[in-house]
Amino acid sequence: MFGHGLLQGLIVTARNFIRSYFDPERLTTVQYPEERVKLPENSRSFPFLVYDGAPDNLRCVACKICEQECPPQCIYIEVERDPKTGKPVRRPRVFDIDYSVCMQCQICAEVCPFDAIKMDQVYELAGTNRFGGMLHNKSALLKSNEYYHQIHPTEADEVDAHLSQSRKKMPGATALSTGPKPPNV
Amino acid sequence: MDTAFIILSLITVGGAVWAVTLRNLMHAVLSLVLFFFGIAGFFFYLNADFVGWVQILVYVGAVAILAIFAIMLTHNLTAEDEPEFFSLRWLTGLAVAGAVGAVLWFAIKNNTAMSQVAPVGVASNVADIGRKMMTDWVVPFEVVSLLLTAALIGSIVIAMEQISHRK
Amino acid sequence: MYNFFDQLIVTLGTWLVGLVVATGNSVSKICCGQTMGDAAAHNVAAGTEIVLICVTIYGVFALCFGLATWLERKMLARIQNRYGPNRVGPFGLFQFVADGVKMLTKEDIVPARADKLVHFLAPAVALAPALLMFGFLPFGRNMAPTDLDTAVIAFFAVGAGSELALFMAGWGSRNKYSILGALRAVAQMISYEIPLVLAAVPVVMIVGSLSTTQIVAAQGADGFLDVSGWFVWTPWGFAGFVLFLIAATAESNRCPFDIPEGESEIVAGFHVEYSGFKFALFFMAEYLGMMAMAGLGVTLFLGGWHGPKLLPSWAWFMLKGFLIVCWLIWLRGTLPRLRVDQLMAFAWKAMLPFALFNIFATAVWFYLPKTTLLQSAVAWLITAALVVAAYWVVSRFVSRRAGAPRVYRYAS
Repeated sequence: MFGHGLLQGLIVTARNFIRSYFDPERLTTVQYPEERVKLPENSRSFPFLVYDGAPDNLRCVACKICEQECPPQCIYIEVERDPKTGKPVRRPRVFDIDYSVCMQCQICAEVCPFDAIKMDQVYELAGTNRFGGMLHNKSALLKSNEYYHQIHPTEADEVDAHLSQSRKKMPGATALSTGPKPPNV
Repeated sequence: MDTAFIILSLITVGGAVWAVTLRNLMHAVLSLVLFFFGIAGFFFYLNADFVGWVQILVYVGAVAILAIFAIMLTHNLTAEDEPEFFSLRWLTGLAVAGAVGAVLWFAIKNNTAMSQVAPVGVASNVADIGRKMMTDWVVPFEVVSLLLTAALIGSIVIAMEQISHRK
Repeated sequence: MYNFFDQLIVTLGTWLVGLVVATGNSVSKICCGQTMGDAAAHNVAAGTEIVLICVTIYGVFALCFGLATWLERKMLARIQNRYGPNRVGPFGLFQFVADGVKMLTKEDIVPARADKLVHFLAPAVALAPALLMFGFLPFGRNMAPTDLDTAVIAFFAVGAGSELALFMAGWGSRNKYSILGALRAVAQMISYEIPLVLAAVPVVMIVGSLSTTQIVAAQGADGFLDVSGWFVWTPWGFAGFVLFLIAATAESNRCPFDIPEGESEIVAGFHVEYSGFKFALFFMAEYLGMMAMAGLGVTLFLGGWHGPKLLPSWAWFMLKGFLIVCWLIWLRGTLPRLRVDQLMAFAWKAMLPFALFNIFATAVWFYLPKTTLLQSAVAWLITAALVVAAYWVVSRFVSRRAGAPRVYRYAS
């Protein structure tokens, strides 16, 4: 009959309308600030610096490989020097990453021989200053190994296993990395 | 003369004068619409609300839209070339205006119904109009409808010819 | 008790008018030493009444406009399995207030080459008829703002003014999409005005009057229920109501007849170049026009303010209007936009002949005897058969070409 399709369409929409009140599964909307989707393990946003135990005990030795490899050049590192002798100590005095420049490519984490820089999952970043607002310094970038385990458990376990293995191989090596490690296999 | 009459006259005459004098054709048509509204206002003023509403429905709703469509399909919207002051157009215009005026004057002069004072405060006139239309004036009514049908068919025929030429 | 609530607004209005007249009397006593004359008092009362009616209608329906936008967004969202606005106020009810504030504070942009005067006037010209149309509807018992002899034709005449506004908007913007939208709007509204008026003609034929008050009075029935007199229960009334709903949807440029706006083709049609409050006025005109059309549909076919005496008469009017608005929203959530040629073909090839058949069926109904119940039943069946036959013929005629591929004249 003429007009039959029209009525069928109306029935479909009416069914959707009514069922959306009784079947919460139908409503796929996630109401963001209150409700959050759990991020997939491999999702990444910006890099951060890993430390073991205390924030002083960071893995970075200021080798500047990440600074050189960074495609948009958002990393700036200065080596810390011994105040008496003036010789470089193997830890950064300044470690800045400008998140407004970073393109989240993960190359810094890939090239780091010390597993010192890893990718974070934070995404709620906002600033009021366009030029310096997203510039994160060392203290802001430092996050514990436990946090790393929280966000990327599988990857962190692999890294820990690998680190303990290399420490076994080189008995002189400590977590402070007094000597250069062999590159990742 | 009371205030309503003066306001309505100003609207009507203003609209008519603008419709003739404005250079921008679209503004001229919109002034014409203002004029139509003024005329409708006069009908309301004279207690002929049915005629007034029909005036708005037909003239604003249809005739003005028709005029707008006609303007849309023309190319030059603003007439830049000033016509010469005394041209042949003026003479023809004067002749046509004189003829229309003479006919109107003759009709008004010889009409007895017009000279009567319109009844004030008549409650219902729609039913009377309908009854008159179906009894006394049924032949003119039908003739007018025949004329409109002929015009309709004529316009369709013209449009059809253009389409067949294009093919 | 029922009468108290039924006449609550009327009583309030009368009381306010009396208050204003009394205040005027005391003021003139202080100033001139005597009360106003009878003529002056009458003028003051009439003026107050007019102002009160206008303020009430515009206030109530401006609020209804806000709630209708909220309702529309909420219903469309549920049809699409979403939540819809739910942030501002309970259930997002105050969303329209936030929208209004946003609209008011937005920058008003006028294109450099626009026809400034026409561009400026168009929103006001669009809103005026939408507001005026409410003046002809009886909202409840003793609650008709005007009691015109010619109310139905006045309603349509005023509605014709909105075409002009859309055209002014399209032309004044000097934008090709605007002008396309305006042309589409004018063509569509002119075409659908004819079925709209013809759908209302049967009611006028049966009642024998163009006055909305009398049309509503003719649909009344004695007793508690008060629904049996509604014209929608008669075959011609039902057909007329369906025709009216379709044509009213087209007249108020709503989906599936929203080709003048056609976001996917011509951006937003006639109001591309409007921003801020001018856009809000267009939006308001569209919704008020839709609600006025719903009100006329209620008046003509759904018995106006008549209804079971559980609710006051004005509540029945508003409830029925609200149901029609809900239906329009439901339709919008269901149907895709029509093509221009489909739209025109539907108006002229389906709705117009069917409306004419319906008028014929109404004439048959008018002359059939309906004194006894049996006679009424026979008349009902005969008219129903006529309407169904007309529907069948028209639908055969329409669907014969429905499956045919579209012929392109210019693009091959």
